[in-house]
Amino acid sequence: MKIVVCVSHVPDTATKINVGSDGKTIDQNGVTYVVNPYDEFAIEEALKTKEKSGGEVVIVSVGTDKNKDTIRKALAMGADSAVLLKDENYRDSFAVAKALAEEIKAQDARIIFFGKQSVDYDNSITGQMTAEMLGYNCVTVVVRLEIDGDKVTAEREIEGGKEVVETSLPVVITAQKGLNEPRYASLKGIMQAKKKKIEEKDAAAADNNLEIVKMFKPAPKAPGKIVGEDVSAVPELVRLLREEAKVI
Amino acid sequence: MLVKSDKNEILSYLSDAANFRGNAEKVYVPEKIEEVSRILQECFEAGTPVHISGMGTGLTGGRVPAGGVIVSTEKLNRIIEINKTEKFAIVESGVILEDFHKELKDQNLYYPPDPTEQCSSIGGNISNNASGAKTFKFGPTRDYVLALEVSLADGETVHLTRGEVFEKDGFIDFKSKNGRAYHIPVEPVNMPTTKNAAGYYMRKGMDAVDLFIGSEGTLGIILQAKLKLLPLPEDFLSMLLFFEDENVALKFVAELRDSSRNKKNEYIDALAIEFFDWNSLEFLRDDFPNIPEGERTALWIEQDVSGAESDNILLAYTELLEKYGVDTEEVWFATGDKERRELIRFRHAVSQKVSDFISRNNIRKVGTDLAVPDDKFFDFYHFCKNGSEHSGLKFIVYGHFGNSHIHLNMLPSNEDEYRIAKELYRELCAEAVKAGGTISAEHGIGKIKREYLKMMYSDRDLESMKKIKAALDTKNNLSPGNIFL
Ligand SMILES: Cc1cc2nc3c(=O)[nH]c(=O)nc-3n(C[C@H](O)[C@H](O)[C@H](O)COP(=O)(O)OP(=O)(O)OC[C@H]3O[C@@H](n4cnc5c(N)ncnc54)[C@H](O)[C@@H]3O)c2cc1C
Ligand SMILES: Cc1cc2nc3c(=O)[nH]c(=O)nc-3n(C[C@H](O)[C@H](O)[C@H](O)COP(=O)(O)OP(=O)(O)OC[C@H]3O[C@@H](n4cnc5c(N)ncnc54)[C@H](O)[C@@H]3O)c2cc1C
Repeated sequence: MKIVVCVSHVPDTATKINVGSDGKTIDQNGVTYVVNPYDEFAIEEALKTKEKSGGEVVIVSVGTDKNKDTIRKALAMGADSAVLLKDENYRDSFAVAKALAEEIKAQDARIIFFGKQSVDYDNSITGQMTAEMLGYNCVTVVVRLEIDGDKVTAEREIEGGKEVVETSLPVVITAQKGLNEPRYASLKGIMQAKKKKIEEKDAAAADNNLEIVKMFKPAPKAPGKIVGEDVSAVPELVRLLREEAKVI
Repeated sequence: MLVKSDKNEILSYLSDAANFRGNAEKVYVPEKIEEVSRILQECFEAGTPVHISGMGTGLTGGRVPAGGVIVSTEKLNRIIEINKTEKFAIVESGVILEDFHKELKDQNLYYPPDPTEQCSSIGGNISNNASGAKTFKFGPTRDYVLALEVSLADGETVHLTRGEVFEKDGFIDFKSKNGRAYHIPVEPVNMPTTKNAAGYYMRKGMDAVDLFIGSEGTLGIILQAKLKLLPLPEDFLSMLLFFEDENVALKFVAELRDSSRNKKNEYIDALAIEFFDWNSLEFLRDDFPNIPEGERTALWIEQDVSGAESDNILLAYTELLEKYGVDTEEVWFATGDKERRELIRFRHAVSQKVSDFISRNNIRKVGTDLAVPDDKFFDFYHFCKNGSEHSGLKFIVYGHFGNSHIHLNMLPSNEDEYRIAKELYRELCAEAVKAGGTISAEHGIGKIKREYLKMMYSDRDLESMKKIKAALDTKNNLSPGNIFL
């Protein structure tokens, strides 16, 4: 049985992001990339599922050669094989889902893991779209999972509480923090990962439905102002809060 | 310039990370280096003691005031120049290490000194000759200071460049910018060969810059420093190893250290070897639930690598680890920057957890900062550990084992235990000194290790140190209470 994990390759949240000169893309200068943090929970859950019920964990990622770093980490954590669906051009979530759905169909996989959201565009939608295209069941934002034969029991986070749902295979699960504690890649894993092949193919053709019109950073916060250093400054402070900041 | 005197406002300046509190009248927060000289001059004339505050991460009460005023360097935090071609930087002393590292990384440059606490200031680092994990390969802060601009106790400013002013015929002579001459007697003392932050640096033919490094704010306020930089290594190998048997871990340290220092294996050249005992792992389990059950010791290893040789390096480490029976499937391997930050966080968390535990339980820390020569290290480690086990106290050991440097923290839970801990502490210091080591390898003497400095140096040596202090600070006005009893 194949277990597929879809992983995205995203800018490290610790790097400074700047908007490119076209005003629509990210300036790649000095940006380092990491495995999408939520996808680490997805990878861990896939490995645990395999450890419990057997199977083969296949990593699938849509993007460019650069995604190989992310794929390699997933392999070092213990995934068995990987497919890179190549496209040099920007794809929206729908077009990514299309490529993933085609590949999952070809792999004939019935348990699919996603992260609950990719921290680059934060759309939180690719998993659901893929499930729909495949006609699979889908449970999102999962924090606890049990798969027993065909039966799937999942606990998901909802506003102010938890919800337990039951469904059956085939299923798409999107992973939330708390689902598990992702393992570290090991030295042995990294040595083995070097030997594992990453299969490369063109991502299935798909048109984008969305166009990014503009990308910009929030306006920088205005610097603070010291009005005075003792009580005599209070009237002025009140005036400024009322007239300038308009908060009281 | 901001001057703070409100009790609540200055509270945070009255202690440091050692949980030790003092008092002061006010805090000056100069924004320009010229302002520092003026404050010092006024205080010198009035006989008001001046204490110097960096970021307050010190562990020996060095910045903790005993009356008088505080000068805080927090606003002297400009990076003045980063010179890529000649590989140096000029920074003000209040620059925070983490900010400096970030700025350098963007320019592909590297400043190795890294006391585990990244929130410390460059001035604090220089004043304590700070060191850290990377000191194993790259040396302590001292090795990276090319020039200093210092404001002396009397308010005069002196600029010293390495390689220009040396000890000659028992004296170091230099002039301030205004032309005032200083004639400082230097009688060499027998300093340990380990890394060291205990007492002044005093050596025949020494450079004047070295006198100020590690002087814990007693000889002047460091305003600016010119620091040596290296090219940023292409990549870092960073991994955490777990061992069931501590003795095997220690043997592994010995071989790795020897291999790295003596180039026994062309691919093995560690830059850091850090140790964590069983109690350290227990402290860390909440934050790192993946720590394997049953493992009793961990080592964190780093090596700088260039892409071309990385496969060979991995292979060499795999072979070495297998020789010691380490399961390489349990070795945490940082696959990128983010994972490497996780391992750095692991190392920092252990120090932090101990500090938190101590403040939460309102106990006083009794923590060693002992280093001994490499060939004495393993015997010394066992001496420390046996003594601690014997005492019945709760304790935790971690440290820069690459540099034969132990942080053994005793965690007494009442006054009786505190007394036992202090006695044991004294015994461990005595043993370190006997082995030719130091009682403070990196945290300095400050106000809490003064009595132990006397175990390392004779009265005559300490008198020689005091003569230096007297020649530069005739009224004992600057950081009084640091280093000397
Ligand atoms: C700087 C930058 C450059 C890019 N360049 C390219 C490019 O050259 N070619 C290209 O095709 N796309 C490119 N992309 C798009 C990227 O591959 C994804 O489409 C995008 O990250 C999805 O974001 P989202 O918010 O819609 O995902 P969400 O819907 O929030 O993601 C949810 C989950 O879907 C899965 N997922 C999301 N994206 C992918 C993916 N690409 N592969 C596998 N699983 C995925 C993950 O499990 C993720 O946790 C680029 C994105 C960025 C930020
Ligand atoms: C969790 C933790 C881990 C640590 N690990 C390490 C470690 O691995 N290695 C290590 O070396 N240290 C370590 N330390 C100790 C501490 O971080 C260092 O001593 C650091 O160099 C202190 O810098 P600071 O700016 O906080 O100085 P402060 O605490 O503010 O002052 C320290 C001393 O320096 C003097 N000083 C500060 N600035 C100046 C100046 N501009 N001119 C003259 N004197 C000045 C002060 O008077 C005082 O005596 C650790 C501390 C913590 C809390």
